[in-house]
Amino acid sequence: MANIHKYILLSILLFGLWIPAAAEDITVIKADRVDTITSGLIENGIIVIKDGRITAIGSNIDIPENAEIIDVSDKTIFPGLVNPSSRIGLSSSPGGGTSSKPHLRVVDELYPHQDVYKHVLQAGFTTIGLIPGSAGAGIAGQGAVIRPVGNKPKEMIVIESGLLMINFQANDSTKNVIKSVLDSAKNMTSSSDPKVQPLVNALQGKIPTFIKCGGPGEILHLLKLLEPYKKMKLILIAGSEQYRVADKLAKKKIPVILSPQIDFEPFTRNRINVPKMLTDAGIKIALGPKGDSIEAHEDFLREVTELVKFGLNKELAKKAITINPAQMLAVDYRLGSLAVGKDANLLVLSGDPLDVGTKIHMVMIEGKIVHKAP
Amino acid sequence: MGKNLQISIARTAHLVLVILVTLCMACPLFADESVTAIKGGDLYTITSGIIKNGTILIEDGKISRIGQNIEIPKKAKVINARGKIVMPGLVAATAEVGMTGSGSKIADSLDPFHYHASLALASGITTVYVSSGRPSGSNPIGGTNAVIKPTYGDLDNMLLKESVAQNAGLSSWMGKTSFMQNLRKAQAYLQKLEEYTRNKDQKKLQELKKPSGVDTYIRLLKRELPARLRARTAAEILDIVELIDEFGMRVIIEDAVEAWIVAEEIAKHDIRLIITPREKRRPNENISGPSGSTLENAAILKKAGVKFAIVPTSPSFATWGIAGRDLMALPMEAAFAVSGGLDEQTALEAITINAAEIIGVADRVGSLQVGKDADIIILDGHPFHHKTFVELTLINGKILYEKSKSPYFSHITHND
Repeated sequence: MANIHKYILLSILLFGLWIPAAAEDITVIKADRVDTITSGLIENGIIVIKDGRITAIGSNIDIPENAEIIDVSDKTIFPGLVNPSSRIGLSSSPGGGTSSKPHLRVVDELYPHQDVYKHVLQAGFTTIGLIPGSAGAGIAGQGAVIRPVGNKPKEMIVIESGLLMINFQANDSTKNVIKSVLDSAKNMTSSSDPKVQPLVNALQGKIPTFIKCGGPGEILHLLKLLEPYKKMKLILIAGSEQYRVADKLAKKKIPVILSPQIDFEPFTRNRINVPKMLTDAGIKIALGPKGDSIEAHEDFLREVTELVKFGLNKELAKKAITINPAQMLAVDYRLGSLAVGKDANLLVLSGDPLDVGTKIHMVMIEGKIVHKAP
Repeated sequence: MGKNLQISIARTAHLVLVILVTLCMACPLFADESVTAIKGGDLYTITSGIIKNGTILIEDGKISRIGQNIEIPKKAKVINARGKIVMPGLVAATAEVGMTGSGSKIADSLDPFHYHASLALASGITTVYVSSGRPSGSNPIGGTNAVIKPTYGDLDNMLLKESVAQNAGLSSWMGKTSFMQNLRKAQAYLQKLEEYTRNKDQKKLQELKKPSGVDTYIRLLKRELPARLRARTAAEILDIVELIDEFGMRVIIEDAVEAWIVAEEIAKHDIRLIITPREKRRPNENISGPSGSTLENAAILKKAGVKFAIVPTSPSFATWGIAGRDLMALPMEAAFAVSGGLDEQTALEAITINAAEIIGVADRVGSLQVGKDADIIILDGHPFHHKTFVELTLINGKILYEKSKSPYFSHITHND
């Protein structure tokens, strides 16, 4: 019985797709190499895009007759970069004491019509995780996932309430606030209270919880505090020296977001590659620009290249700027790699993105060319 | 049939699992690391003399045996200390270190990865008293304090005791007035409580209301906690002596630079002191009697029978140029008391057992005694010699510092 249902469903699906196909815009990209991230490198790759989504990808693919063809046979295609946590284009965070404001939403701060988004696009970023302004320690609100295009907030938003943001500090007042707020929502399955629902979602692991944290000592306090809330999907926005507790983070499978920089081991002139140390320990990492400045975005790929030069595995580095941040933001079902069914967010590059000298020729979001280098 | 077989396999697997788990749980009993022995060194026990060529056995982080001719279990991990001096980890009775953050509960802000923790270990310090916040303005009490161990990287074993004294400040006259008024309020309440209880006067007991804000003062009056105050001059110290006469509290005085002038009074009132032998204070020209600092402070206090701890001028870790005057040279500070006439034993006590007693943790640390925490340091020379280095530091029986592997001092050797 179940099989028959499946066939019926499949045929309905196929039929449904087939009818509009004739009338829709179809774009086909022909490239030298397609770096899919999740299913390897395709030489002489072809990507078919319909309605902004990838419908076929490979090397031996029939090109639909009425397709618009973008022939970049000497170029490399790479997924659009995903910035895991950013405050770009938003006003600076207000200060404040320890508090709990889970109802605050970063999308309500969103302000399109800013040149920064254009610059970010040109630097290759097609998806941005926005985190709410940190009003001191405590629960800072709900983050969102946006695309840096569009004239109205709604056009920019991919996910409106994508994550819960916690600013952690190791002291009794912050711990008490976080604990009491989480405990109040611990046994609920849903709530009509906008102050409670995001907590319920985070506690049940329906949305990820991003946590800003200081050094390794604070991480130990944090892990202890959040130990009882087993279903929470914790993602750490790194402070400093996280490698000192790498074993604990790896054991708890907590991913880490950090910037691409070579650090000094404290009080020495020894250089250390923290992203490499974390991946060596088995931790999933995402790399984001060093700050919200345009320069930080423009320098980003070069800095990631430097990490690779200093020992970070190149494939892991590529994941750390695409599929990993997409997973952390829980949008990997449609973003972060090139695969059938996913959004056609991609970069057309002169070569490998992590080779020195590679240039971005074109940026596409959902099948539309949003930037073309002169 | 198939089902029965499945069940029997499941049962067998279950049994094997149970046996495995039991074995694993029993494992620590047989594991090599469960007993550590330090052998061959001269043991400066502090509380029961020096044991030449002695042995210490450590089990479950505590000292389990100590003495000469102790048989070392075959499976023990052995640390050879031949030709070395073995003594309890040093205790800093005052420390301003980066291992704690702000907040009203120190346990919630400890940082086991702060570099001060590794510097403390390299300096042989295994216990420190830290405080967060101080009394300010007209409020004579405030802040909190704790005794912690620099267990680098290990948060769970860092806190020894939270709130071991009540920070008090009487430097402003408003603070002193408020302090005394509150003590009197608390005292009157306690007297009534005692009287009504003695007379079994239920009605009055029910009517009796505790004045607000006197909980801390009640603890001071009941001598549950000592008050920890700062008093530099003889006059300030005598002020506190008067308070003790009236209220009978336990008192610790920090920074008691002119204590030598009133040593007898201090001894009579059983006040504990924290002193810095090298601290300087000019004599006060407006006073005809003695005033100012002296290197003999510690020696004079000892003669009068006063118990004191010694801390350096800067009770922190400084890597930027006041070498020898911070916690990295805690024994050096005690050595200066020796140059002022103090006996070496008392000087050692002032940075171990007496410091531990003053900060309320002498039951756990401060001497090499059976049952105490295995917080032990191994030195390559006498603790008061300027060439001496800490070679090994253990806290709760675990080696947390080895000079030969540390970036701080491993490159320094003395060739003579």
